[in-house]
Amino acid sequence: MTLYLLYETSSGYSLFQAGGLDEIGQNNEAVRNSVSDLNRFGKVVQLTAFLPFESALDALNQINSVSEGIMTDELRNFLELNLPKVKEGKKANNDFVHEILRGVRLHFERFIKDLKPGDLEKAQLGLGHSYSRAKVKFNVNRVDNMVIQAIFLLDTLDKDVNSFAMRVREWYSWHFPELAKIVNDNYLYAKLAKFIDDKSKLSEDKLPELTDLLGDEDKAKEVVEAAKASMGQDLSPIDLINVQQFAQRVMDLSEYRKKLHEYLITKMNDIAPNLASLIGEMVGARLISHAGSLTNLAKCPSSTLQILGAEKALFRALKTRGNTPKYGLIFHSSFIGRASARNKGRMARYLANKCSIASRIDCFSENGTTVFGEKLREQVEERLDFYDKGVAPRKNIDVMKDAIERAENKDTDMETEEAPAVPSAKKSKKKKSKSDAAENGDHMVEDKPAVNGGASEDAKSEKKKKKDKRKLEQEQADENTNRTNGAHAEEDGLSKKKKKKSKDQDGEVLQDASDMKKKKKKSKGELEAVHCCFFMVWCQGGGFSGGPPPCTAALRKLSGAVASEEI
Amino acid sequence: MRPSMSRGLAADHGRGASRTHNNAGRGGRNNAGRGGRGGGAFRAQNIAGRGLGVRGRGRGGGRGGASGRGGMRGGNKAVIIPHRHEGVFIAKSKDDALVTKSMVPGDSVYNEKRISVQNEDGAKVEYRVWNPFRSKLGAAIQEGIDNIWIAPGARVLYLGAASGTSVSHVSDIVGPTGVVYAVEFSQRSGRDLVNMAKKRANVIPIIEDARHPSKYRMLVGMVDVIFSDVAQPDQARILALNAAYFLKTGGHFVLSIKANCIDSTLPCRQSIR
Repeated sequence: MTLYLLYETSSGYSLFQAGGLDEIGQNNEAVRNSVSDLNRFGKVVQLTAFLPFESALDALNQINSVSEGIMTDELRNFLELNLPKVKEGKKANNDFVHEILRGVRLHFERFIKDLKPGDLEKAQLGLGHSYSRAKVKFNVNRVDNMVIQAIFLLDTLDKDVNSFAMRVREWYSWHFPELAKIVNDNYLYAKLAKFIDDKSKLSEDKLPELTDLLGDEDKAKEVVEAAKASMGQDLSPIDLINVQQFAQRVMDLSEYRKKLHEYLITKMNDIAPNLASLIGEMVGARLISHAGSLTNLAKCPSSTLQILGAEKALFRALKTRGNTPKYGLIFHSSFIGRASARNKGRMARYLANKCSIASRIDCFSENGTTVFGEKLREQVEERLDFYDKGVAPRKNIDVMKDAIERAENKDTDMETEEAPAVPSAKKSKKKKSKSDAAENGDHMVEDKPAVNGGASEDAKSEKKKKKDKRKLEQEQADENTNRTNGAHAEEDGLSKKKKKKSKDQDGEVLQDASDMKKKKKKSKGELEAVHCCFFMVWCQGGGFSGGPPPCTAALRKLSGAVASEEI
Repeated sequence: MRPSMSRGLAADHGRGASRTHNNAGRGGRNNAGRGGRGGGAFRAQNIAGRGLGVRGRGRGGGRGGASGRGGMRGGNKAVIIPHRHEGVFIAKSKDDALVTKSMVPGDSVYNEKRISVQNEDGAKVEYRVWNPFRSKLGAAIQEGIDNIWIAPGARVLYLGAASGTSVSHVSDIVGPTGVVYAVEFSQRSGRDLVNMAKKRANVIPIIEDARHPSKYRMLVGMVDVIFSDVAQPDQARILALNAAYFLKTGGHFVLSIKANCIDSTLPCRQSIR
């Protein structure tokens, strides 16, 4: 029996033949001894073929495939050319082979005659550089990095703007100390400081402008009065100019902060729409930046997500065997603040679960809708109600079914966007979901208002871009959806009630489509179940043991496979 | 020494809590400014290891005092004598400093001080000061480690290269005839590593996870020494995997252990045992 060994180097593929295995004996120790001696090793292992890479670029392609575990055409040809035709031979993969490969690695330079000493290092050097450069260049978390940088900058800016504004107050208070008491807002104060300039020049005729700035006539009058009776000292013009310049800087900075905040919101709606609509852009962005990337966040178990940001407390608790913290960053989401003290921990756990799901959907699904995030948010609201008043929440499976259906419907809308009827349908749906939320006694704190408007618009434009790419898939999805719409309408009275309005409007578009396609009996529900199962298994199972970063492409491929099986 | 021996050393591998957290918090060692580099116990295995506390000053760079060009500059005062370890030198001047002979004269990797000295034959030789507060290997040498196994002409696999500050000194030691394979996972610090490696022909940068040596098997040949500085709960396993692939029979390894990273809940002494 002969054993063939493929050995990949930076300069090319090589194939070795190991014969006379019995002579060495299968004892690892014996193998090891013979491996270190070239004379003996050379007798046992011979070079059969060597295929040098044509160019540096070629080498880079090869190493990329090798590290991903993909067989390239070159490698296949090389193997087919040089391996004797055998029926499925015994594949040996054990310590023994490993030992021999170590030997090959040790003596490789002497096997290939044309290779001068140092050549291999040169090849390794060149390839190592290009491989590493490529790794740095094509970072999979490119978009996440923008969010991470933005949120860091935002935090820094908050701090800086605040301390600068305090400086303006301090400085201008030498001239006009009473103003600091009247105007609390930093930005407004800087504006006023710039406008008033010299307090002795402030008179009644500037009142309208002051009112404009302050938005309050009483306050404006108060300011004028205070200026008259001020106990501040007079500043020389050059000092005042400097104060003004600084005030202008502070204003610019805080305006820039606002712009950055908007940028962050659009970015978040791009990369993590569901997470953003569930927990708010800022908290979502913080979670992402703390985990390192969206993929990392999606890989976190929800228990980790729950205490993300409370590491110090966690490790202290672990060391002293005390109580572990209940929440970290997600505390800032306003849900937990609304829960009563004894339910805070439960709420944090529940919210973390939902965030975990949302981040996974965002990370691994290819069409960005906010439907799931909104539904999850509703669920959290319901849970809050449950703890508060004992109102029983809806069943999880119903909510998810509803969400899936909605997501599908949205896709259909996309497909028929040219039809004039659709946008209005969409709008009404939006309104409906808003009013839904209102019914639940929803006081959206700080983050919600932006979500609905901005998110949907963004999602729309983004989808438009992606549309062509996904057309094929969507057509399949459409068939399925249309069928389901019919089926569900009959079966599912409950959800039908909820969605009746929107469906009726969509219906016109959908019905003619569904008339045409009634060939298949399989329902969309099953397909969806397959998707979900696969998704959950994949998320929870060994998928994350640290292999190559799981990407949406893989998921797409698989879901594509599922879809095509059905057809 | 056989690679498999490494299985015997160190560390019950991290228990659930700390490990999860290591993975969650910024992907292990992803953070760019790795604060708290010091503060752990350092130990080189396969020697009668002396645990030595390195109390870091973080990245203060230098030990206070003269900034930039002051201090060690103006080499006429400094006298270079070879260290017990080949390739490492000691600069004797006002206070002693660990130095290595620079491969790339005129270039500081991390703003470290440089000392140039005139040889007997008039040629100028430049040495770079090795700050033990920033490099665990440097600290180990300063504290009198028995053998670092890294010597001129050696082929070294350096796991956990980070930005390449220590790697640059290792590359100085092995010189033009040796090779340093520097493996680092984080793309952020890998960027600095690649930049550093551009100037040093004997450093081969590899941006890849050290847990999967098969991914970079094409880039690495047989090595004499493995230096492992990966602060992970399963660092012994990582080392063993790499040794099985790349360490030649009879090769050596140097392993740096930060007790906190193995299991943060145990006291230091215990987790090292």
